[in-house]
Amino acid sequence: MALFSAFQTTFLLALLSLKTYQSEVLSEPLSLAPESLEVSIDSARQCLHLQWSVHNLAYHQELKMVFQIEISRIKTSNVIWVENYSTIVKRNQVLRWSWESKLPLECAKHSVRMRGAVDDAQVPELRFWSNWTSWEEVDVQSSLGHDPLFVFPKDKLVEEGSNVTICYVSRSHQNNISCYLEGVRMHGEQLDPNVCVFHLKNVPFVRETGTNIYCKADQGDVIKGIVLFVSKVFEEPKDFSCETRDLKTLNCTWVPGSDAGLLTQLSQSYTLFESFSGKKTLCKHKSWCNWEVSPDSQEMYNFTLTAENYLRKRSVHLLFSLTHRVHPMAPFNVFVKNVSATNATMTWKVHSIGNYSTLLCQIELYGEGKVIQKQNVSVKVNGKHLMKKLEPSTEYAAQVRCANANHFWKWSEWTRCNFTTAEAAPSEAPDVWRNVKSVQGHCVVTLFWKPLSKLQANGKILFYNVVLENLDRPSTLKLLSIPAPANGTELTLDQCSYQIHVTANNSVGTSPASVIAVSGDPGNKEVEEERVKGTEDGFCLSWKPQPGDVTGYVVEWCERPGDPLCDVQWRNLGPNTTSTVVSSDAFRPGVRYNFRIYGISTERIPYLLEKKTGYSQELVPSDNPQVLMSNLTSYSFTLSWKDYAAESQPGFVQGYSLYLKSKAARCLPGSEKAVLSDDSICCKYKIDNPKQKTFVVENLQPASFYEFFLTPYTSVGEGPQGAFTKVTTPDEYSHILIRITLPMIFSILLIMILCYLKSQWMKEKCYPDIPDPYKSSVLSLIKSKENPRLTIMNVKDCIPDAIEVINKQEGTRKSLTETEPTKPTYLYLLPTEKSHSGPGPCICFENFTYNQAASDSVSCGHVPVTPKAQPSQLGLLTSSENGPKALGKNYVNSLGEIPAGETNLNYVSQLASPMCGDKSSLPTNPPEPALCSEYKTQMAIPMGLTSPPSITLLDEGEHDH
Amino acid sequence: FSLTAPLCLLTLLLLPLSLGAPISPAEPISQAYSLALYMQKNTSTLLQTYLQYQGSPFSDPGFSAPELQLSSLPPAAVSFKTWHALDDGERLGHAQGAFLALTQHLQLVGDDQRDLNPGSPILLAQLGAARLRAQGLLGNMAAIMTALGLPIPPEEDTLGVVAFGASAFERKCRGYVVTREYGHWTDRAVRDLALLKAKYPG
Repeated sequence: MALFSAFQTTFLLALLSLKTYQSEVLSEPLSLAPESLEVSIDSARQCLHLQWSVHNLAYHQELKMVFQIEISRIKTSNVIWVENYSTIVKRNQVLRWSWESKLPLECAKHSVRMRGAVDDAQVPELRFWSNWTSWEEVDVQSSLGHDPLFVFPKDKLVEEGSNVTICYVSRSHQNNISCYLEGVRMHGEQLDPNVCVFHLKNVPFVRETGTNIYCKADQGDVIKGIVLFVSKVFEEPKDFSCETRDLKTLNCTWVPGSDAGLLTQLSQSYTLFESFSGKKTLCKHKSWCNWEVSPDSQEMYNFTLTAENYLRKRSVHLLFSLTHRVHPMAPFNVFVKNVSATNATMTWKVHSIGNYSTLLCQIELYGEGKVIQKQNVSVKVNGKHLMKKLEPSTEYAAQVRCANANHFWKWSEWTRCNFTTAEAAPSEAPDVWRNVKSVQGHCVVTLFWKPLSKLQANGKILFYNVVLENLDRPSTLKLLSIPAPANGTELTLDQCSYQIHVTANNSVGTSPASVIAVSGDPGNKEVEEERVKGTEDGFCLSWKPQPGDVTGYVVEWCERPGDPLCDVQWRNLGPNTTSTVVSSDAFRPGVRYNFRIYGISTERIPYLLEKKTGYSQELVPSDNPQVLMSNLTSYSFTLSWKDYAAESQPGFVQGYSLYLKSKAARCLPGSEKAVLSDDSICCKYKIDNPKQKTFVVENLQPASFYEFFLTPYTSVGEGPQGAFTKVTTPDEYSHILIRITLPMIFSILLIMILCYLKSQWMKEKCYPDIPDPYKSSVLSLIKSKENPRLTIMNVKDCIPDAIEVINKQEGTRKSLTETEPTKPTYLYLLPTEKSHSGPGPCICFENFTYNQAASDSVSCGHVPVTPKAQPSQLGLLTSSENGPKALGKNYVNSLGEIPAGETNLNYVSQLASPMCGDKSSLPTNPPEPALCSEYKTQMAIPMGLTSPPSITLLDEGEHDH
Repeated sequence: FSLTAPLCLLTLLLLPLSLGAPISPAEPISQAYSLALYMQKNTSTLLQTYLQYQGSPFSDPGFSAPELQLSSLPPAAVSFKTWHALDDGERLGHAQGAFLALTQHLQLVGDDQRDLNPGSPILLAQLGAARLRAQGLLGNMAAIMTALGLPIPPEEDTLGVVAFGASAFERKCRGYVVTREYGHWTDRAVRDLALLKAKYPG
């Protein structure tokens, strides 16, 4: 029994276990777990790609499942991400799921595991989690290589303003690593000893070529970095619009959003999607795209334009009806037909935009660049428009554009056509004026006319017809045809009573005639000329109204007064007008313009009424008069400048200014002080009368120097500064002096002639000749004696002043020293037997001039000696002071008292200094002290003091006189 | 027959001139030296221009990272003793190898910059010019080696396949190393050629 019970228990247990086993076997296919989990890495996108499959599914079975995925970082306990991923699972299908990591995957080890559960309503009993798969580890760091430093993520592309996480991985534990963003140090958090993480928030756009982020070790030059490409936020396209021109193609345009700011990394793509038709096209261009309109007359379109780049996708929508977006083509076959002088018809064609649509066309007419007519016309296919009120012979431009009349969208482009209206006859008579001259009994009439304006001419003027109607013989007409563009003609008429008709003609017809009459009286009667003042606006001319019948007035002037072709101008004015302002660009300052005002009689004969003259702007005189001076007296002179042409000055000469410079400080009456441009002061006379051309300058000082300068002045100022003319007034007595001095000179001359004629007499009376010793009778006496050695000494040959006494007796020397102590100047060497005190036979010549000369001629042996130094060796000469006197006396006395019979007397003259050449002839022992040096001292020096008394001083005959 | 005789004579005369005659090395050395001097004037400009376009830290004043090297590019730095002990063949061989590598690297850097800095034609032009000059110097060096009777080393692909996976920052660094080494090698070539010039005076 016990065995049975044991067996039973064993069986039950076995059964239970079997049941348990069975139940386990049955439940196992229902536990659907993810299997074959594989994790791969996309470093560039920082993505983990998971793929797995579920094996236990029945064949063809599809179940909705949910997978719970856990991602941990660094270590498995640090789960950073949990996500439930639902999907429909088939048998043996490979399931995929991706996860993007904020942190670059290289920065840390990641682990992934997952479990699954059935989430299907069909099998609600299986809603429980399967077991976790084992952790799948992802470790990129181990495969990095052996570089000491790495920075991640590489070349990441982000949008401006987004957040980026960066890390570095260092292989060295010792080194401190610093990291920089564009040179600015970043601060991060240490993820593990080798890894540091930096969280960049709101990254800015720096440059198109990316932002550099780099790390470097404190030691060594290891630099590692990344380039973070930060793009600008991709904007959506703007102004998205579609239109059609031919109902076959839609052209969609848009303005692309601003560039991503990166040069190459981001390319944009544009796609166009139409929701009604479900069609899609990839646009080839960045800003436009064409869309083929479907032939099934789809009316409504709903477009979505999608712009996309690596980071972002942007869309814009547009819903429209095709017929509302018609932009018609430009009209074609535009012509202007039936062009007359005033009308023209424009025709054109338009491209059809559907069977029943009409177009609204706009026509613009341009004349001279301005719109002068504007018109709108409805058109189906052919357009036509009549343009009226045109001007003849005028160029016009007409243009047309069209738009959809029912749903205006846009105007087409303009199509333009130019045309010119036909000519018409000139509408106005030419404005005619005349100039009449009488030449040799003939009347020379010069006709002038102004060309018609474009508006008046109505075409090209071809010629002018001039019809001459002789008023004396009314039946006689004479026609002249003058081709254009002449603006005048000259006619020589036998007499001056004519009426002249002038018409302008173009190809179409003739203008109304302009009539002017010429009479025998040329009308140039003497009329007082009035001055008129011009202004910047011109000349304001007015005249007295004429009593009687005047049909109008004409003002005539020359624009170029100096020119022979003076460019006659005229102006027609109505009969009620009595003033006008004449202005012209041709008016120049400083030019005098003459105006004539004519009245026109009822017979069309002009007659001169008034003359005006004036300057548009007066200037200072251009030149100064040539001034002649006359009647110069001691007190006045007269100036005249009669030749001065005051009329040709660039202004009305109002008078003259005379400037007078003198040494006198005060100005004379009638003048006032003035300062010239060179700051010199002078006196100014003002001559107010421009017709006065002489002026007498009075109240001058005799024998004074004056300078004057005359210049005219106009209302603007004086003429140019010129040179002053110099004048000196004569002396008051000069004429008297002349009357006296001339006869005086004459009489003096007469006296001189008389003196000359009587010179011999005068000479004898006033200065008789000095007797020549050679010619003296004494000589003959001496010669007759037996002593041939005796001669007369030449005055000039005598060197010293000496008188030599020959054959002197001893007694005389004694007597000299004894008896003449008070007359030391002279050596009374001559024998004076009678008396020592009386005048002896000594001959002395006084010569006041030679001594001075001798004193200068030191070379000749004469040394000037003062009287004190005078010769002790002479001995005898003790005093020179009384010399001249005594000499004079002695000389005079001696002349008279030389006895004719003296035999022992030699005449020794005082001498001028000897010639230099005479040195050789001098005695060997010449007297060192010059005996002839004393001025006015005449001395008779005994040359032979040191020599024997018989020696004569000179060799006779060898000396010049 | 009478015409062929002088022609044969002429051919005989011309043959040694055109083929085997040893050309004086002075002229190619002088040419190469002139070119190297000219290149030397522009190397610092190239480097500065390059750095200026790369952003910080490259564009920072005084930027220098001498430890950055490229395994594919032989460094120019050499001890003076070693350099001086080189014989002509070694000297020219080193320079030849370096400038061959430089031409290829400059091409690579040019391509990189076309990508990274497409809006900088000045930089691209300077890189292109530097490459052409390096090629010119290569040609001159080959002429010198021919004149000296030295074997010309065959052209090699120094870059290999390593170049393409680099990140933008790595490419910027690579360009920096290449432009820097271009300058260093040009400086060295000037000295090499000056030495040769002194050795083989014209």
